[in-house]
Amino acid sequence: MRSRDGNRNFSLRLCSVILFSSLALNAGEYLISYRYVVKNATLFNEKLHISKAMKPCSGEPQRELILENSTDGNLKKLISQNSDEFLEYIHKLDLHVQHEEQTTNLQNKFTTILTMKTTCFKVDFNDNFAIIAPLK
Amino acid sequence: MKYTMLLVALLSASSLFGANQVQTVDTKANTELAQAKAEAAQAKAEAAQAKTEATIAKEQLAQADIALENATKPAGAIDVEEVLQENATMHISVTGQGVAPMNTSSPAQAYALAKRAAIADAYRAIAEKVKGVRIDGQDLIKNMMVKRSTIRTSVKAMVRNANIVETTFKEGLCEVEMEIVISHSDFAQ
Repeated sequence: MRSRDGNRNFSLRLCSVILFSSLALNAGEYLISYRYVVKNATLFNEKLHISKAMKPCSGEPQRELILENSTDGNLKKLISQNSDEFLEYIHKLDLHVQHEEQTTNLQNKFTTILTMKTTCFKVDFNDNFAIIAPLK
Repeated sequence: MKYTMLLVALLSASSLFGANQVQTVDTKANTELAQAKAEAAQAKAEAAQAKTEATIAKEQLAQADIALENATKPAGAIDVEEVLQENATMHISVTGQGVAPMNTSSPAQAYALAKRAAIADAYRAIAEKVKGVRIDGQDLIKNMMVKRSTIRTSVKAMVRNANIVETTFKEGLCEVEMEIVISHSDFAQ
């Protein structure tokens, strides 16, 4: 039904859609995994894998991280620019700890592996910042 | 006859005087004996009192020893194991240590790598405290001699919401203090 003041409702809706879509210019889903190995109290190996999800992920965004974004939609670049902040954030998510220690004739050696299993993250790239949140 | 009477009187008088003197000597000895007895009793009482004081001092010393032992005990060594109650939270604090590798290109890289190792150690400590450690041991004995003694420990856990409280880096050793607050609902199946 047409409203009395013309197409005002329709134009409002259209404007809000344009506004929100411009705020979330480049929303995407990424798969991220992180693992590092410590041998005898020294960092031995560290791996951070980032790839774009090929299938849509299910779940709700959980704890968000907001990073300053000076890249145009490149998550790897963004994370390498803010690696300390991002790794600190990852540590607060679910992290698996696997530790094995062996003492032979009173000589000790140990290996600790910390792993964040492959998790789907929703990333919204805006003009000046990016919002990263795991989906669960 | 006159002289006889005089002699008898003299003798009786002398005997009387002698008896008095003996009596006097006897009384004096008795007094001294009583006094000595009293002194001995007093000394005995003083000895008993000293003994009691010594016992009390010994007890106080033992209590002080226990207090000193408790004071010098490490923070983690609690005699009674803390149990997580249903409507309460438990705060766990640990310190992890890590060292930088020998071949680092800069002090900043050394710091970053040592910190990573220290964080892993702190996570391991949290997992050990919350979930526990599996321990296996094996000794090889040949010709009545220990040839090889091996102890294997392992920890497997998942840690969430651990926070870094403080980081220190001194002479190549990085120490990270981490804490975690756990509640009963975290373990609910």
